[in-house]
Formats: sequence, C-alpha cells, structure tokens
Amino acid sequence: MKSKQSPPFRFRTHTAQQFHKNIPAVISLYVLVLLAVLAMFAPLLANELPWYIKYEGENYFPAFSWKKNYIVKHQDGSSEKLQLDITDWKKIPAEKIIWAPVVYSPGKSDYNNANYKCPTCDQKFIDSNGSEIEMPGRFRHWLGTGNRGDDLLTGLIHGSRISLTIGFLSMGIATLIGILLGAFAGFFGDHTLTITRGRLVFTIIGIFFGWFYASQLRGETVSGGSDNTANSLLSEFLLRMLIFFLVVIIFSFLGKYVTMFKWLNRKIHIHIDGLISRLIEIMVSLPLFILILTIAAISKPSIYNVMVIIGLTNWTGIARLTRAEMLRVRQQEFIQSAQALGYSPFRIMLRHALPNALAPALISVSFGIANAILIESSLSFLGIGVPQDVTTWGSLLSAGHGNFSAWWLVVFPGLCIFITVTAYNLIGEGLRDAMDPKMMR
Amino acid sequence: MIRYLLRRILLFIPTLIVISLLAFVISVNAPGDPVDRLVTAAESGDVANTATSSMLEEKQYWTHRLGLDLPVFYFSIAPLSYPDTLFRIIDKKEQHALTVMLNSYGNWLTIESYHSSVLQLCATHSQLSKDSVLMSSYHQNEIREAINQSEFTSHSLLDISNEKVIRSKMNELSILYNKHPFFKNQEAALQQVIKAHDEMRASPQRWRNYIPIIQFHPQNQYHRWIFGDGNWLTGKGSTFSKGLIRGDLGMSYTTKMPVNEIISKRIGWSLFFTLLSVILAYLISVPIGIRAAVKQGSFFDRTSSVLLFMLHSMPAFWVATLLLMIFANSDVLPWFPSSGIKPVTGYPDTAGFFEKIKLSLPYIILPLIAYTYSSLAFLSRMMRVSVLEVANQDYIRTARAKGLSENTVIYKHVFKNALLPIITVFANIFPAAIGGSVILETIFSIPGMGLETYQAILTQNYPVIIGVFTLTGLLTLIGYLLADMLYAFVDPRISLLKK
Repeated sequence: MKSKQSPPFRFRTHTAQQFHKNIPAVISLYVLVLLAVLAMFAPLLANELPWYIKYEGENYFPAFSWKKNYIVKHQDGSSEKLQLDITDWKKIPAEKIIWAPVVYSPGKSDYNNANYKCPTCDQKFIDSNGSEIEMPGRFRHWLGTGNRGDDLLTGLIHGSRISLTIGFLSMGIATLIGILLGAFAGFFGDHTLTITRGRLVFTIIGIFFGWFYASQLRGETVSGGSDNTANSLLSEFLLRMLIFFLVVIIFSFLGKYVTMFKWLNRKIHIHIDGLISRLIEIMVSLPLFILILTIAAISKPSIYNVMVIIGLTNWTGIARLTRAEMLRVRQQEFIQSAQALGYSPFRIMLRHALPNALAPALISVSFGIANAILIESSLSFLGIGVPQDVTTWGSLLSAGHGNFSAWWLVVFPGLCIFITVTAYNLIGEGLRDAMDPKMMR
Repeated sequence: MIRYLLRRILLFIPTLIVISLLAFVISVNAPGDPVDRLVTAAESGDVANTATSSMLEEKQYWTHRLGLDLPVFYFSIAPLSYPDTLFRIIDKKEQHALTVMLNSYGNWLTIESYHSSVLQLCATHSQLSKDSVLMSSYHQNEIREAINQSEFTSHSLLDISNEKVIRSKMNELSILYNKHPFFKNQEAALQQVIKAHDEMRASPQRWRNYIPIIQFHPQNQYHRWIFGDGNWLTGKGSTFSKGLIRGDLGMSYTTKMPVNEIISKRIGWSLFFTLLSVILAYLISVPIGIRAAVKQGSFFDRTSSVLLFMLHSMPAFWVATLLLMIFANSDVLPWFPSSGIKPVTGYPDTAGFFEKIKLSLPYIILPLIAYTYSSLAFLSRMMRVSVLEVANQDYIRTARAKGLSENTVIYKHVFKNALLPIITVFANIFPAAIGGSVILETIFSIPGMGLETYQAILTQNYPVIIGVFTLTGLLTLIGYLLADMLYAFVDPRISLLKK
C-alpha cells in the first residue's frame, strides 16, 4: 500500500545512492558481472573447436554445431570424415579459421606439453608435417599446464561456472529456508499462532504417515530399482519433501473438520518462535564443516549434492537476521492497519511484513555466497564430495599442492577464489553500510 | 545466576539429543559393512578374545560386539509386511536382499520359508565335502570343483533378490546336480527352494506394504550407543561399550582402538596450535583494532582495514600452500621443513623440554602463520567496531569531561567494555581444538585431530568421525555457556537473572 504523496525519503533509492558511493563495492559488482559473463559463455570462450573454419571451400562452425562429424569432399574425389571430438583441428590446413579465445577444452590433454609446463617455458607444438616446433603464440598455454597437459586457463574459465552455481544454488536454498523460518518465528512469536487440539493431533498423525510414505515407500522404490540409477540427492530430497508435506497437509485439512469432542476444539498456542529459535541454536552448535565433510563423503560425489548440503546447513544467519527484523516490523502501524482490514495473518506476513524485513538477510546472503565458495573450494581441495572429472578452482589448486614447482597451479586458481570471495564480501559490506541508518548523512 | 545456569544446562539436553541423533543417523546410513571391515582389519594387540575359528563365527562376534544385531532405534515405523526380526540377520547384503523381496512381494511367511530353504541348501554342503572323500570312483578334482561351484552358487542365492537372476542360478544348480549323481541331498533341497520360490511369487500380499505399523524396541543400537550394554543408569555389567554418556565413543574400524584413546593421543598438537594461534591473534589484533578505532578515518585505519579484509578473504588452504611453496621449497627459499612437526629422526633421548621446543620450532612457524592470519581480520574488525561503539557512550563522555587523559579513558574505560564482543570468540576455541583444522593439518601433516578426521573420512572410519562430531558439538555448547558467563562477569549491566 503506497501512500499517494511522494515521500521525501525513499529507502531503496537512498540505499542505491549510498552503495554507489562505495567504490570498492561497485568495482566488485562489475567483477562479478564479468565473472558471470565468463561463466555463461565458458564453452565459447575456451573450446578446442574453432568458431569458424573454411576448409576445402566449405564453411563449418564446429563450436556452434550440434553435429558429431562433418564429411569433407576433397577435390581428388576422396572424402574425409572430421569427427568433432577427436579431430586435431589445430593441424587441419584450413583456408580460414577463427579460433575461440582459448583454444583448449577442459578435461582434454595436450600431450606435447604434459608434465607441468610453466607459462613462460618453451612449449612444444607438432605441426601438420609432424615436426616439432616452438609453440605458436595463438596456441600457447598462457597460464601453463597441469600434469596431463591440461590448459590451466581453460580450467579456470570452466571452473568459474561451478563457483557461480555453488553460490547461487546453495545460498538460494539457504535463503529460502532462512527467510521462511525467520519470518515465521519473528512474525508469529510464541503466542499469536493458535490451533485447535484436533487439528494438532491430526497434523501429528499426518507427520507420522508422511514420514512413512516419504521415507519407507520411496526407500523401497530406490532399492527396488537398480542401485546405481542417477538419482541425485536434490531430486530425491525434493520428492520426499513433496510427499511428506502433501500427506501432512491432507491430514491437517482433515483435522480442521474434526469437531466431535469438546476437548478437540480447544485452541492452544504454537510456540513457533521458541521452536525455531531452538532449531537455530542446535544448528549453530553443530560443527558444520565436519558435518558437511561427512555428508559429502557419504553421499554420491556430485557437485549438486555439495551445493544442497551447504545450502541445508548455512541458513541460520539469515534466519536470525530475518527474525530480528520481523520482530521490529510487526510492531509498526502498517501491520496493524493491515490487521484492521482483516487480512489473513499469512497474507500480512508474506505480502506486507516480509518485504520490509528482507534487507538484513540480503546482506547476509552476500557473505553467505562468499562462504559457500570457500567451503566448496576447500572440499574440492581435499578431494571430497566433488567427482574426479569435474574441474573446480579448488581441485586445480590441489593439483598444484602435489607439485610445488608448478607454482602457476597454486597462484592462479587461488587468485580466482580470492577475487571472487573478496568481491562478494565487499558487496556485502557495501550493502551493510548503505543500509545502516547510522551511516545516513 | 544459578537459576540461569540450571536453565541453560536443561536446554542443553534437547540440543545434545539432536546432536547425538544426527551423529547416529550418519553412522547408521554410512556405506560399507563395519563387520566386514573389522573381520578383515589387521589384528591389534588390545583386542584379545577374538580367537575364533571360522569367518562366520567371527562375523557373529563383531556383530554382537558392535550391537548390530539389535534394532536401530526405540521405535520403528515399518510397513505391516516387515517382520520384527529382520535386524537379526547379520549379513547386510542378505538383509538387503530380503528387504527388497519384502518390498516386491509383501508376504513375509513365504519369503521366510524361501529364505530358510536356501539356508537349508547351503547347510547340506558341509556334509558333502566330508562324504566326497569316500567317493574314490570319481575324479577327486572334478568333485572338488563341482562342490565348490555348487556351494558358491547356493550361497550367492542368499544375496540376490532379482527374480530372473534367482531363476538362472537355480537352473545352473539343477544342471550341475543332474550331471553329478552324488548331489542327491542337494537335489532334494534345491527342489524345496524352487517350490518355496514359486510359492513366494504366487502369493504376493503387496497391500501390506502400504500400512504403517509402529514397533517398539526397548533394546536398540541407539540406546546402546548412548547408555552402553550394561545397566543404563549405573553402567554396571557392560562388556563391550560403556556408552556415550560415560564417555565411551566406540572403537575405530581400522585399528580397533578405542576412539577415546585416539583422540587423547592426537589432541595435543591441535590444542597447541589452536590456543597459541588464538593468543597470538589477540595480541596482534586487539592493539590494531583499538588504534584503528581511536584514529578513525586515518591512514592507518584505512590501510589496516583494507589489508585485513583481504587477509580475511584468502582461503586458508591457499595461504598455507603458498607459504609452503615459497618458504619450504628447495627451489625458492628452503628455510623451513615442508611437513611434519618434529625432526624425522625424532627427538634425541637426552633432549629436555626446551630442547624439544627448539627442535620443533622451524616446523611450527609456517603452520602458526596460517592458523593465525585468518582470525586476525575478524578479531581486529570486531575490536574496532566495539571500541567505536563504546566510545560514543555517555559514561565515556563523562570520563572525558572529568578531565581524564585520553590514554586513561581509552585503556581504563573503553578497553574493558570493548572486550565484550571478543569474548564470543572464546566460545569457539575448544570445539575448534577438538575438530582441529582439517585443511591446515592435512597440508602441514600435523598429527592432530584434523588430520585424523580427514583420514577417517577417507577410510570411512565412522566411529572416529562421529566421535569428533559429538564431542565438538558438546564443547560448542559449553563454550557458549562460558562466553555468556564471562559476559556477565565483565559487564555488570548484563544480568543473567533477568532473562
């Protein structure tokens, strides 16, 4: 409900102005945008397939092609099959060729430059005649190579995708849980939410059945099928949650209409704030890194599992901040007027109170993303939870840890992690400063 | 104060229960069969009474010793089709096969009779190998081979649940039995198995899978893990485990050593580094924080906050690797040894305490830098913020108005009160010491809890992980309580009674 007269002070524009005054934060924002663009276009930026090639008078676009191979007709009548994945495009005597900025694909090895070639070393190249020559500048490994001759720059570009998705997915989960729980705890407190005993009893029975159908029956279909089907933790978890809540909601709905006994009709308070605060307390006192390590080691090695685990464990900060902010917001007049208008409490909470209580949580999300990236890179540095064939900044760094003479494998991935984490932290700081009423000038 | 303490300690209980439950859920769902691992693990000296004859007996012994022959929890919500004795089957694969069959047929009676008929078939073999010695008319090797094959196939029947595979195994057996006349007993047993299997398939009761029932188990694995296998209150009569409540964290799967012993052996270095680095961090960061706050906006304030902020964003494993790469690298600056904590040859016998410290010093410096740098930023920023906050309070203005010197104001009035938030960090010291720093200890190969945890994760040695996890959780709780009490101690305005 916006007031009609234009207010002299708008929080949002003020915040934006304050944020723009903070130069490091603005630079960080640009850095992150750049990173996002890099990650988004990684397959085009670092690819051994040329963007465009003119060969025997025909035009091809291998990097953009969904084909697996091309048939090339030579002038002498013979034909040649160019298989996209195994052809060595660098040796094809093309008339015209446009390469991707980085001419190597992730996971592919350049055996001529295997065994840790440094960025400034002599790098070898076998030309189309089969003779060994100095590496042409176009094909140089600008940041050096790893053990199997895998290009580091390519690894970094493709690794940025993982860091980016880690941040967004895990913090997305954490934010959702944190904001919802925090909002419930703060807005309803211990004495607002009431429920009839009948409904409570039915909900508890529903939880029992929901648990049964979600865990037992899903469990049986999982073990009934072959054990190594690719059911990721995420989809499995979501499905189970869906079944669980569906059953609980059905029972709770039934409970609404149970009015036979007087005892069942008595209303009681749900101490939702107490419950959620206790839950937060428990989560905080868990040794999270060991928990994440253990679960990551138990579950199937998958980058998405790691994200889900980080997301499910890192929501407490957001929940606490949202709760505190909700406690403040719910005292304000516009909430009372919404109540006076007779809106349902859930509507007031979601539509009116929550949008005004999100700011502190947003700051926390920014720090949380930085933290999630750190956790993920630590995990892949240790080689836990992340599959072997997935290249992440942490796994590149860990390759460098095995061989100290390959300093480039330590310095560059570390710099990438450092820059990204710093950027998120600076943005978080910038947001905090911009939103802090004490800083208003 | 005491009332508040009591209330806090009472609130510990649900938190501890949740922590223990979480740890337990992890250990139950952990992959791999601990019994298998213990049977194959190298013998260690302190487990004496394992002089068992056969593999099966040994398996039974370990299953019993670990309490795996008990149901999992106080109650179970299971489908109606599940019997309440499923947990008694020792072999995990066998149990799994039975569960899958239960899920697809739902009729325990027929499944059980099928299972026992397969067991019967397996049992007939022991007699057979004795008899075969008498049958000299056959070629001995051929007989051995046939018997081995029959034995292997019939045992594998126990682990299979897929109908088609079962059928093909049965075919295999009946072909074998037709070929050799001395398999007379087996022939009959196999017919029994086939009959039981047909019966099982013919009378499925799938509806039973969709009705939940609750079963209660007063004796179960969780209870045993918490309270031990003796009297649950006094702990008397316990043979294998005294229970978590009396500080028994179980036994390592790889070395068969008690987890307690492992932790007490390994905790020294972790504690050393954690405490030393915290003290160092305080010594450096508190002055920086105060100076930055007192001269707010000055050059020192700005540069120190930028520098510390950058330090804070550097991943510890990167800094540690860089340190090693630069200062422990024979190609760059070979100033420090690259791993370990004391000379490879160990300390000389004559070395005293200080001699030992002197010998270990080069090993300690790099890890200590890596341990300390990251908390520097956090601590000094906190210090700065709280000094600024306190400096704006009325009583500080009063102190200044009284004409006290700036130094007195800062160090007598501001400092003490600004220390408050720093106390919170105290809460995390002891749990951090127990957990150790997994990453730093791995990189520097410091034989502490972090390295132990990492190795336990790699070797799936769950009792150690769970032990560390539980202990760290408990210590975190205690740390918070201590921090709260210190708060009240330092700041008279905070009264715990009011809460």
